[in-house]
Amino acid sequence: MSHRSKGSRSDAHSLETDHRSSGPSRWSHCRKRGIDGNLRANSDDDADDRGKGHAHSDSRHSSFTTPESAGPVSRCGRPSDWGSQVEDEEMRRDLHRDTQRRRILAAEVTHRERKTSSGSSGSCDSREGDNIETDEAMLLRRQKQINYGKNTLAYDRYIKEVPKHMRQPGVHPKTPNKFRKYSRRSWDQQIKLWKVKLHAWDPPAEGCQKGAQEASLNDELDELDLGDIMDIELDFPALTESQNAPLRVHNSSVQDQDCGGTPVKVQKTEPPEEADMA
Amino acid sequence: MENSTDDYKIQSFDPDSQILLKTALKDPSSVNLEKVCSIIVDQSLKDVVFSKEAGRICYTIVQAEAKQTGGNIFRKHLLNRLQQEFNKREETRTSSLQEWVCYVTFICNIFDYLKVNNMPMVALVHPVYDCLMRLAHPDALTNEEEVDCLVLQLHRIGEQLEKANGQRMDELFFLLRDGFLLQEGLTSMTRLLLLEILEFRAGGWVLSSTAHKYYYSELAD
Repeated sequence: MSHRSKGSRSDAHSLETDHRSSGPSRWSHCRKRGIDGNLRANSDDDADDRGKGHAHSDSRHSSFTTPESAGPVSRCGRPSDWGSQVEDEEMRRDLHRDTQRRRILAAEVTHRERKTSSGSSGSCDSREGDNIETDEAMLLRRQKQINYGKNTLAYDRYIKEVPKHMRQPGVHPKTPNKFRKYSRRSWDQQIKLWKVKLHAWDPPAEGCQKGAQEASLNDELDELDLGDIMDIELDFPALTESQNAPLRVHNSSVQDQDCGGTPVKVQKTEPPEEADMA
Repeated sequence: MENSTDDYKIQSFDPDSQILLKTALKDPSSVNLEKVCSIIVDQSLKDVVFSKEAGRICYTIVQAEAKQTGGNIFRKHLLNRLQQEFNKREETRTSSLQEWVCYVTFICNIFDYLKVNNMPMVALVHPVYDCLMRLAHPDALTNEEEVDCLVLQLHRIGEQLEKANGQRMDELFFLLRDGFLLQEGLTSMTRLLLLEILEFRAGGWVLSSTAHKYYYSELAD
């Protein structure tokens, strides 16, 4: 793991430089921090991002950035309105529940391993004793990002279509593991990649060319700054292999994709025929 | 699992509102949840009967929205509206005792029904206590309406409240004991209600059978 990251670090630098010369990537205005780690001023770099896709990327990029709520809310102090307080409380409880589950699972796996004394397995979390993220604020933030991705029609359709045991790594999107230690950029990039992949399950909409959709998705995948990913998960191998796979595999199910729209869980445009909330 | 909408006691709403509420229960994403919230809260502040059970319909709408869209817009509006009313509760009490009593009943009902991961909402604990403490003040104990409200809420949510914050419950009961023992001018009904609630809590939020016989034997079963 460390060997790979060292290698990719030098690659990262040259890739960044290459990208820099052609202007900020399509994704750069989605990022809060520049490559030097400092917070970006809002409009400076956006102004540079012209080019064929700018208008397109505006409508597109809103689906990839974390949609903001009613303005910046300080996460350091408690929010003063009850609505937000309860939301935070809920997230914290969900997080504790997840953490509990994880501890139990990790303990189980360790136990099993001691018995069989097999070699390491890729997804075995138990040997990552010091690789587990425990910072609550960080976990909450990551969980929030995951929630945004899961609260989409695309995700709903995806989990209905592909049961977990049928998922093929690399082809099917996998939710990033918030309990693993990653750099901020690496994590954010994983979230983006995950959401890009989920787009393949966007619900069909009228008046949009399927071809244009595939082309634009391909463009975006091309422009992704792979060098930023310090720690590439096994599930996100060289993108060149996998980027076409979801599109090919799901050609039949993806009819007229909505290329301008955000796959955010929007209000349904027509009430469902079967309003069965029981 | 479909409750007949009669269970939600929405007969007191005008027909249009009733339709809106029924739609909200089945298909929350198709209605304006802020408006739905507004209607419910407004009615709760006017209608004593509805305020006692409004929590249920709110709970169902919250669940329905969560299931349908994963959102909690309705809950957010509800809580923020509750907060607004809380901030002007003293004004409300002065202008309309009934509205004040309805508000307390409503917020306690919400506390009872709207749970987060099966736990009461922490954000409401202090506000509820603030309301109950206000009801235990000497000037409120002289109004049977307010005493009645106070003991009703303690019967319904006292145990949960105490679990959430035992110290404040102790403080509340100091006031109640003082009122019972020292305050002049309380009606005998008020003193009866206070004594009953003192015994109720002392018994672990349960009335012993003898006490029950004492207080309730004259009531039809």
